Amino acid sequence: MATTEPDADWHGDDSSISQLRGRAFEATCLAATAFGLVSVLLLLLFVANDAFRPLSADSGWLLTYAVTVVVPLAALAVYYYRLDEPAGEVAYVTSGLPVVGVLLTGGFAVMFIELLSILEWFALVTSLVAAGGLIVAHGRLRPNAALERLVVLFGAPIVTVLGTPPAQFNWLVTDLAAALGVDFGLYHRVISLREVLLRLPYVPTNWLLLLGTLVAPLAVAGGVFVARRCDSRRAGFAVVGATLVGALVGLVTGPALGIGYGGWMLLVAFVALPVGVYVEGVVRRREGVRGLAFPVTAVLGVAVGSVVVDAAGLAGPDSWIDWGFLTSATSRTAADAGIYPAMVGSIMMIIVIVLATFPVGVGAAIYLEEYAPSEGPMGKFVTLVEINIGNLAGVPSVVYGLLGLALFIRIVQWPQGSIVVAGLAVGLLILPIVIISAQEAIRSVPDSFRQASYGMGATRWQTIRQVVLPEALPGILTGTILALGRAIGETAPLLMIGAAASVRLAPNGFFDVAGMMPRQIYSWSSELEPAFRHGVLAAGVITLLAVLLVMNATAIVIRNRYQRE
Amino acid sequence: MTRDPNRDVSRRKFLAGGLAGVTALSGCVQNTRRDAWGGGSGDDGGGGDGLSGQVIVKGSSTVFPISDTMAEEFMEDHGNVNVTVDPTGSGGGFENWFCAGDSDLNGSSRPITDAEVDQCATNDVEPIEFQVAGDALTAAVNNDAEWVECMSFEELRQIWSDNDVTRWSDVREDWPDRKLELYGPASTSGTFDWFNEHVVGEEIEHTTDYQPTEEDETIVRGIRDNEGGMGYFGYAYYSSNSEAVKAIDIKVEVDEECTPPTLPNAKDGSYPMARPLFLYVAESALQREEVYEYVRYYLEQAETDVVQDIGYVPSSAEQRDENLAKLEEVAG
Repeated sequence: MATTEPDADWHGDDSSISQLRGRAFEATCLAATAFGLVSVLLLLLFVANDAFRPLSADSGWLLTYAVTVVVPLAALAVYYYRLDEPAGEVAYVTSGLPVVGVLLTGGFAVMFIELLSILEWFALVTSLVAAGGLIVAHGRLRPNAALERLVVLFGAPIVTVLGTPPAQFNWLVTDLAAALGVDFGLYHRVISLREVLLRLPYVPTNWLLLLGTLVAPLAVAGGVFVARRCDSRRAGFAVVGATLVGALVGLVTGPALGIGYGGWMLLVAFVALPVGVYVEGVVRRREGVRGLAFPVTAVLGVAVGSVVVDAAGLAGPDSWIDWGFLTSATSRTAADAGIYPAMVGSIMMIIVIVLATFPVGVGAAIYLEEYAPSEGPMGKFVTLVEINIGNLAGVPSVVYGLLGLALFIRIVQWPQGSIVVAGLAVGLLILPIVIISAQEAIRSVPDSFRQASYGMGATRWQTIRQVVLPEALPGILTGTILALGRAIGETAPLLMIGAAASVRLAPNGFFDVAGMMPRQIYSWSSELEPAFRHGVLAAGVITLLAVLLVMNATAIVIRNRYQRE
Repeated sequence: MTRDPNRDVSRRKFLAGGLAGVTALSGCVQNTRRDAWGGGSGDDGGGGDGLSGQVIVKGSSTVFPISDTMAEEFMEDHGNVNVTVDPTGSGGGFENWFCAGDSDLNGSSRPITDAEVDQCATNDVEPIEFQVAGDALTAAVNNDAEWVECMSFEELRQIWSDNDVTRWSDVREDWPDRKLELYGPASTSGTFDWFNEHVVGEEIEHTTDYQPTEEDETIVRGIRDNEGGMGYFGYAYYSSNSEAVKAIDIKVEVDEECTPPTLPNAKDGSYPMARPLFLYVAESALQREEVYEYVRYYLEQAETDVVQDIGYVPSSAEQRDENLAKLEEVAG
């Protein structure tokens, strides 16, 4: 083969080659990117302006907070960025942790207020722990009894949480018998550990239960973490002790602050404990200690600002989003309208969606990618199925709403507009998306990994469980989360399944009729008063976006964690 | 066919088995304990008395503002009763919800039809009628349409029936040669039914060449943005949008006096498009205390300024007493 002279094919220095087309293409791509991003940004700013109305504040108010909060924080941020990067990370974490902690506190508080009493929580947690203990104990005692373990794995939670046979099974049998005209009912069953706990004549008071099942485990986890890090058991005990004492103080201070001892204990467990553990590490390592100035400055700035504003009598912005909006129900008067019941409804709907679609979607994806035949007539059939899953992902959401109406309301006879119906209808909508993205994630695991695993004598099940799934999990989670983001904003299926326009009570269970955020926003959009369509609507949109961002952020954290390991 | 409530419940619960985890979470969670939470975090704190349960209100979007206001005020006193209100249109509410036994109350801007009564009867739903308020159905045009101030029923009929009138000049020759852009309620709406029956005429077809919607707000927006726009809707929607569109006066015959749509004119009956608004209650639902209490509150308040503030004619004191007597009689 003849070698060509290298310079014969090289045109780079030849000015006769035009680069114009390439440049023009690049510019077009840039313009497309900029156009998309800028229009979305402008839209968001527009909505945020309607929701917060910063310009309705006195200019003195804006100026005060600019001087006490914005300027010092900006200066610090620039300093960290330029001169002290480790401190920057510390600043980032110490201001982020409390926010996440407060959100968690809010979530748990809503759960305790609307869904579970503390006693029910205690019973559920204890039963789940007992089930876990049984499974672990069985694994220790009889490590080789695989079939037995399978039975224990599914049986233990049934015995401890659901009872034997589960109440639902009893209803099924009794119902079937009644349908056949036989008066036969399974009226007797062994109640579960959970139910036993609920029926105990004497139970510890609520604060003791909360302390034992929520604060103490977290305190112990924090203590173990610190003890390992410092290599000192004393430090660990100190953390546990300090947390418990801090939580107990809440019995007095909580009610005084108006958040109850429950609110205080949750704050101690979710905010004070993690922040304390993190700060302790920073101080002891003496790395980036200056970063601690950031949250301190922020708190001081807000405090000083509010004192000045109060003294000077300056009015803040007349924002649509405020504490009242987040904690009250919708109203006929725009100023009183809130989104609380709808927010609880939406979050509960997401729980149903996750429980329903994640196992089904990921299971289907694993089967299609790892087990389904790829050759012969069956292979053709599988290809057909996959193509149609793709088609299903493109079916309009109204159609899924109708499907939900027909299936869950007309046939199954679940209550119209209830959370479980909404969750399952929207779950069906995102199921194809979950399957496809999970398939993509599994497909992206290199085949060489599987071959290597088989080469070491692993079975297919072991390969999937130990090699493929851990590798694919971050991708699966990303896809699922993006799909959930779509789910929480879906409106059309909710209209189809009869979600009501105005619901003023937050749901207490999954079969309750509930409001949901997109439905609430839609009904505000057709209100008579312009204040609804401009102010309250914008506030609702911002809240929906915030919930979405929190969900995505949580998911990204989970994903990164798996990726690291 | 009768339903056995116990069976129904157990069936639901059994089906919940598929979501065992969820039910395990939801458990039996009727009583929430607020002592641990300072009582301030709930939406429905305070005001809770012994009464609890659920009242489902569907029906006319015209009656929706009244029902929703009543729901809000009722729930201030009865914090554990969940009154949900949803505008589905009068007919849509009867057909899909009320007569199917899925809702307790149905607001309606027209009396129930015989077909709907029959449908209800097949499901053992017996509707009880209460007249709760009055409305001045309002026809409106764009603010810039200075050529029209008043219309007769005949002219409305020409515009809104299914014929070849498509331009303003087709109706009156001195009106401009501009396309008629029509916006109106969808055929599931009681407003549509009333207008069709009383103005267009039952034997004449209502036009299909218009923008039908269940959201009266959309009608207002359509008229506002089109100089040749015209539409009709409940008075409340006009009174809160009186700057956006122009209401036109109405007369029945060409040689009569024009009457503007106002609440006093609707009350004394001089406005030709005044119409009553109804609330229908399922007799069986009235046996439930929360439904009974809500309806009683509704009928009592329907006589007060609350209704006037929304933009409707409150029921008279005699009307209210009649309604309450009827309620007592039915509820036993």
